[in-house]
Amino acid sequence: MLNYIWAGLIILSLVFALVSDVGDLSKNRYRNGDPLPVLLHFEEGYRAGAVRQPVSVTIRSSDYSAFYGSDAADLNFDGMLIQASGGRQIQFADGESLPEPLATIRTETSKRDELLRGKLPSAISPGAVDVSTGVVFPRVQFVKMTAITRAAFDFAETAVTLALGLIGALALWMGLIKIAEESGMLNSIVRFTQPVIRRLFPEIPPDHPALGMIVLNLTANMLGLGNAATPLGLKAMEELQKLNPSEDTATNSMVMLLALNTASVQLVPPVLLVAIMGLAINQLMAAIIIVTALSAVVAITSALLLGRLKRYSKDDPMRINQTEAA
Amino acid sequence: METIKSVLDLFSVFILPLIIVGFPLYGIVKKVPVYEVFVDGAKEGFTVAVRIIPYLVAILFAIGMFRASGALDFIIDGLRPLLGVVGIPPEVIPMGVLRPLTGSGSAAIVLDMINQFGEDSILVKMVATMFGSTETTFYVIAVYFGSINIRKTRHALPAGLIADFAAMLLAVYVVKLLFT
Repeated sequence: MLNYIWAGLIILSLVFALVSDVGDLSKNRYRNGDPLPVLLHFEEGYRAGAVRQPVSVTIRSSDYSAFYGSDAADLNFDGMLIQASGGRQIQFADGESLPEPLATIRTETSKRDELLRGKLPSAISPGAVDVSTGVVFPRVQFVKMTAITRAAFDFAETAVTLALGLIGALALWMGLIKIAEESGMLNSIVRFTQPVIRRLFPEIPPDHPALGMIVLNLTANMLGLGNAATPLGLKAMEELQKLNPSEDTATNSMVMLLALNTASVQLVPPVLLVAIMGLAINQLMAAIIIVTALSAVVAITSALLLGRLKRYSKDDPMRINQTEAA
Repeated sequence: METIKSVLDLFSVFILPLIIVGFPLYGIVKKVPVYEVFVDGAKEGFTVAVRIIPYLVAILFAIGMFRASGALDFIIDGLRPLLGVVGIPPEVIPMGVLRPLTGSGSAAIVLDMINQFGEDSILVKMVATMFGSTETTFYVIAVYFGSINIRKTRHALPAGLIADFAAMLLAVYVVKLLFT
């Protein structure tokens, strides 16, 4: 299942990016190479020899919709006219909000700042104050193609940052859990809670430390302690793996633990949500508790029932092991 | 209700310091060499974090590409009429689709909707409840299974996604029930 979804995500990304880029090209969405009509206003008149001079740029609503085929209000920007041997270039709309597709043109053509740059091919007569002319923006094409490539690399980096960011919390909790193990504290938690927990995890033998880890993980989840829940959950997984005869296939218990984690009963909301919602979170607590309780029931039921389906039960490492032993 | 809530809030503030102090304290009482044992256990933190990297990279880059390609918008548009039939407002669908994929992305949706509709709107209540009620399923699968090198995840993903979908529907209905 994960294989297909994973491959599906990547292939669909490519297909969608291609379709949308080819669509842009065929509709000539960015009007590559064509001049957009603009009105320039030089406060002190146009100076032919100046390298830099301030200019204000106006794009009329009617020109914009005729040119790009999408609506926008009249646009007014301060800018700078730069003249060099390569020709006249105009820079404007520094950081200001732009309508599409101009916004995309800006993000695609200026990597380091938020300036919209374009060439002014037609000549301007010296001394002119108001000039009506056209701006040609750099070519923009295959926007989505570049975007998915960039996203692939960016997110690969994010993944590493995320994983490394976990080291501190993981080390702290794994250290504390080790103390709980050695001091016999975990055993008491196991003995106390196993009548309930073992119903959900029948594969785990009685008094096994995995039960204790699972209880701690679920408790941390309920209390909205994300950075404690993950290390505890990983520790529980490690214990479950010790019971697993297979090296790379999940057992029913692991799937159950995962299902309980993705839909855990939440008595205290996650820290991030509290940060976002502030005091408004108080009204939502009842709703969150009801929803999480019901969805936990759904999670448990679907983990149990799906595990019985032939397509999943045939790979069950515990069952395969039993038949081999018999 | 209010008292239960304040007890829970108090509990969630004190539980962490209690564990961080309590575990070693209990260990000392039981004559465990706490410092040595702690360091011994903490060593694992590093190896686990490094072990999950390939799994996280695999999941996150695929999700990142998918979001950047615009395919997500297409799927959301496709789901709109379908989910409208069962009473799901179209505004909350992006949250339902994005929540299992990315935690930060779905937090951004909540923030964005607060700006758009205001904190008291029922739509914001729905998405916030969805956010609080489910987990980033793909991330959890990558991290949990990655840490023990499990590659064949069997029914973990379908079970997780079914639960997510149920939570999304339930969030809409429960919020409607409680606030209208």
